Amino acid sequence: MTPTRRDFLKTSVGSTALVSLASSVPLFMRDAAALAAPSKGDNVLVVIQMSGGNDGLNTVVPYADDAYARNRNTLRLSPNGVHKIDDYIGLHPSLDNLFKLLDANQLAILQGVGYPNPNRSHFESMDIWQTARVDMTEANAGLGGRRTGWIGRYLDTTAAAGLDVPALHIGGGRQPLALAGEQARAASVQSMDAFKLDTGGDTSLRQSIERIAAVPRGNANPGEAGDDLLGFLQRSTVGALASSQRVHDALARYDNRAAYPGTALAQQLRTVAQLIDAGMGTRVYYLELGGFDTHANQAPQQAGLLRELGDAIGAFMADLTARGHADRTLLMTFSEFGRRVKENASQGTDHGVAAPMFLAGGRVTPGLVGKHPSLTDLTDGDLIHHTDFRRVYATILRDWLGAKPAPVLLGEYEPVVFLR
Amino acid sequence: MPTDLTELDPQQAWAPYTPDAQRPWNIRRAAHLYRRAAFGADYATLTAAVDAGPATVIDALFTASEPAGDGANQRGDGSDAVAAFDRQMESLSSAMMGTGDPRALSASWLYRMVNTPAPLLERVTLCWHDHFATSAAKVTKSRLMLDHLDLLRSHALGAFEPFVQAISRDPAMLIWLDSTVNRRVSPNENYAREVMELFCLGVGHYTEDDIKQVARAFTGWEVHRDRFTFNKFQHDTRDKTFLGHTGDYDGDDAIRIILAQPAASRHIARKLARAFVCDEPELPDTLIQPLADQLRDNGFVIAPVVRRILSSSLFFSEHAIGRKVRSPVTLGVGMLRAFDATTNMNQLAAAVDTLGQLPLFPPSVKGWDGGRTWINSSTLLGRANLARAFGLGGQVKFNAGSLAATAAKHGVTKPADAVNWMLDLIVPLDPPADVRDQLVAIASGPGDENQRLGKTLQAIGTLPEFNLA
Repeated sequence: MTPTRRDFLKTSVGSTALVSLASSVPLFMRDAAALAAPSKGDNVLVVIQMSGGNDGLNTVVPYADDAYARNRNTLRLSPNGVHKIDDYIGLHPSLDNLFKLLDANQLAILQGVGYPNPNRSHFESMDIWQTARVDMTEANAGLGGRRTGWIGRYLDTTAAAGLDVPALHIGGGRQPLALAGEQARAASVQSMDAFKLDTGGDTSLRQSIERIAAVPRGNANPGEAGDDLLGFLQRSTVGALASSQRVHDALARYDNRAAYPGTALAQQLRTVAQLIDAGMGTRVYYLELGGFDTHANQAPQQAGLLRELGDAIGAFMADLTARGHADRTLLMTFSEFGRRVKENASQGTDHGVAAPMFLAGGRVTPGLVGKHPSLTDLTDGDLIHHTDFRRVYATILRDWLGAKPAPVLLGEYEPVVFLR
Repeated sequence: MPTDLTELDPQQAWAPYTPDAQRPWNIRRAAHLYRRAAFGADYATLTAAVDAGPATVIDALFTASEPAGDGANQRGDGSDAVAAFDRQMESLSSAMMGTGDPRALSASWLYRMVNTPAPLLERVTLCWHDHFATSAAKVTKSRLMLDHLDLLRSHALGAFEPFVQAISRDPAMLIWLDSTVNRRVSPNENYAREVMELFCLGVGHYTEDDIKQVARAFTGWEVHRDRFTFNKFQHDTRDKTFLGHTGDYDGDDAIRIILAQPAASRHIARKLARAFVCDEPELPDTLIQPLADQLRDNGFVIAPVVRRILSSSLFFSEHAIGRKVRSPVTLGVGMLRAFDATTNMNQLAAAVDTLGQLPLFPPSVKGWDGGRTWINSSTLLGRANLARAFGLGGQVKFNAGSLAATAAKHGVTKPADAVNWMLDLIVPLDPPADVRDQLVAIASGPGDENQRLGKTLQAIGTLPEFNLA
């Protein structure tokens, strides 16, 4: 059961923290509730960044293509091992759980995604994907250059920017540029613990803290002359304590009916599922899986990483489906580039260009979207992309997040059909 | 003083603060000064400050932080703790550099903030780190980041023009802004843009064409093998025209011309005022102008303007006290300084990182946005949990032995006194009276003295007032 907005208001008014406010400051009450309110209806986007440049050819595999076998002397995957989608394309043997999502109508596979004049530097190309600013002339043409990311700019253009945590980066390391907006600020956390007030199990201390936060002070009335800093902090503190309580309650009733693997990515996706289930208003979750830069001895490394990816996404979708959130969740994977068609002399592959993207969720159009790029019509030994990644972003912005793509992407991009 | 900032007379606002019955010089105002200018101070320091008076305290803060005069490369009164501490830091930084992990440098900088006898210098250096924000996440080489930080510190209170000239040659900065190559045939506009937009003028005070022309002035300014080099073969020697000037300018000329713009002194004056006075509201131009004039008329030297701000009537008014959101670094360092305590600096670095501010790793060239952007549910709960860990986690070493012993050292024994003592030390604004009563109830609860004080500290660390500075 997911609490609705009305449930939240009901329980909040009954809770010790907020009871004193209900009569005295109704506007504050409403605002505090809105700040931390569970929002059942809003769609959620989950992004998994596959850092290092994943070898798309050995992920979504043109197993029946002679040119594939020719170019991949040691790395080619046997037709017997791949999960066959049709008589030409199959998924890497490690991706059995993604393959099952195809059957469940919960996976779309976009082929041949890239951008013009591809950059083969990890850093540059990752910036390009995250900022959706492809060349520096364009990047220099105002609107923050490559200082803001596409998700951050999306948040800037919507009311979501005013949410408590409009976007959340889960994992260590730096916050991805994709989440940086001019106004909107995403949060970065390592785990659910970041949303729990630790009182060492001392309930009386917790209650005191909640009572103390609820005592009115400052001007917490955001409607009129604007709240002051103290009012803002009080509102935020009440909201944070409510979040903590909600996360605590959600964990208490979370019965782990979906088993997640023990990998870092799977555990992070479990956290995302718990937060969605707890009714956090967060619109975008951002996760990273690194290690795809497989210049040497690629086969075992990539097999392990794709295993981690596919099993984690499979568990996540099963969990969301069981909890009734699959239809409002869309998961997207991307990597900064694919790899060259021909393998190198170290049983690895070097930096290339176009690659596939996975889109998982209850409302994707299942199956392959777009053709696999030709393995013989190449540019400098690289695949030629046919779908600009900004068209994918445009689709997500327009059809999933309900935003106008042009102000975010600084241009019009024809949407791709992968949502129903 | 009027409640509306726009009605404030600028001369009166920046005139020196003189204590009176309405605005007495007391522990709370001394704590305000130390919190803003020096990351905070312990109770003994605050008590001594109340006896000494504001002017003497401010003098001492500057004496410890400014060069000893006659251009000597030494700060403070020459003898002393400051020089010894600088030597200690040098060896600590070298040791940290040996690890090859730039995050270790963040920890060693935090150590310096907690322990330095020249805290004002460190506080202003942190401001400039936010202004010339450069991240080790991209620069990656510890040596370059350490040199960068030393550069910020050595210019922090000095003249701004040589500061910008030095930063324009700083390998870390140029790597950070993708400006290690700047060729005559294709001038690199990145640095030219940031030097005007972020470092000197602000948006709206230059054109896109100015950027292109200034970029030409910086051609040939490059980094090779981690060192700045002027490549004269790549320098464009033709005339450039920008900001109303034409000539065969190089980068230093460009900086001189940019800083001569009236917008430059206003930009820097506003930056300093925001850093030390308040996050909100935006100070009106009329209040900024006297500081800008002071910069322009005195060779753009930073220290006198910072001193004027910290000495001012405005700074000790309700327009400044509790009018900033406490940043993660000033929170973490400030708690340790206030309670005369220390901790594992790698843990402190991890903690402030979780709260959104790891020194030497700013999120972008714009630095940290600060103000309200420090605050969301996860950072607020993180702050509350940090306050708990501070008192009860066992990781913090109090120089007096324990939190209870620290209180006892200052004659604090009763619960009500303990609450007042902590509020004096770390909270800028008085919470409502009934909140104080509830805090006293927590301080009077079950458990031993350290337990009670630790819980009280966590409750205080969760006050909305605590997250102001």
